[in-house]
Amino acid sequence: MLEIALAPLALQTGNFAAGDTLRVTVSFQYKVGVDTSLTLRAAPYYTNLFGKHLVSSCAGQCDLLLEPSSEVIDKVAAVDMALTPSSLGGIENGTYGLVVWLRSGNSTADPWTLPSPLARGEQDNVMVISGNSSGGITDTFSSMMPMLMMVMMLGMVGPMLSGGEE
Amino acid sequence: MEIKTLELNLGGIRTLQARTQEYAPGWYVDPETGQPVYYDTVTRNFYTLSGGVYLPLGYMNPAPKQVSLGPGERLKVSISYKYSGPAVSGAVERFCVGIYGLFGFNEQIVGTNTRSLSQSTMPLTYTGEYTFTIPTSVGTDWDDIYCKISGGSPGVNETIFGYENALVITGKDPTISEFKITDFVKV
Repeated sequence: MLEIALAPLALQTGNFAAGDTLRVTVSFQYKVGVDTSLTLRAAPYYTNLFGKHLVSSCAGQCDLLLEPSSEVIDKVAAVDMALTPSSLGGIENGTYGLVVWLRSGNSTADPWTLPSPLARGEQDNVMVISGNSSGGITDTFSSMMPMLMMVMMLGMVGPMLSGGEE
Repeated sequence: MEIKTLELNLGGIRTLQARTQEYAPGWYVDPETGQPVYYDTVTRNFYTLSGGVYLPLGYMNPAPKQVSLGPGERLKVSISYKYSGPAVSGAVERFCVGIYGLFGFNEQIVGTNTRSLSQSTMPLTYTGEYTFTIPTSVGTDWDDIYCKISGGSPGVNETIFGYENALVITGKDPTISEFKITDFVKV
């Protein structure tokens, strides 16, 4: 079992393989007047020019029940998320952030969708994913396709350019 | 636990027997708003027409203050009123928290006290109070309060008074802090 200790906002990057299942543990404090059902979700995300994007196929979630308390209560909860391999429509090899968030009821909205979640914790570039197969006949063929296309086009155009000069 | 208070003044009340008819039944114009109002001699109240429904005029008022409270907390509602007339036994002070809307007051939690009023030719001041414990099922729209005194022998003229938006219900939504990822483990 690979275990990585994380400090808030100072998470160390961990290496994981596609197909692994991760158990993410969070802690928080709460105060509420009535029994309250929440959904805790965790997922990898990547960042590009257009912002942050959740890898939804790998998101995990669990239900939490907060018991009423007028005093602040410490709570610890865990949620599992499966790093589905890219061949099954999951996560690609690369570096990802980790985001965990709490929403009321059974909402499955993204952590950055308004209205904002009740709580959210995230950090960029905390997971390095590897282990997706890099090849196979299909992948090799796909990578060679542009070159093959160019050769075929040259083969078709060449005789036309030199036509009638025999 | 702290008890939060809200006070209402019901003004003067009289016994039903002592009441004299001040208005003939029919339509009047409210001098304050200019809107037509109807006086009903059976209920001895003015009504205004809203959306096809006649609503008693003027028993709900803007709250002079708002009280914030949540489930499990206690709210003490205090009333005061003046009474002159024959001795009355068994008059009922009624305290209600609920939702005031187009179709009247939707009572959610109710408390009552039974009172005896002394014979007097001069208006005497009475006070009453009731302490509610806000239930966990409280809705965030339970923000209105009304109180009334009625009944007894001989019966007192029903007198009603309320405040709109007197309460701010808190604690229904959780307050979460110190949310952090403490660990993640391959399983």
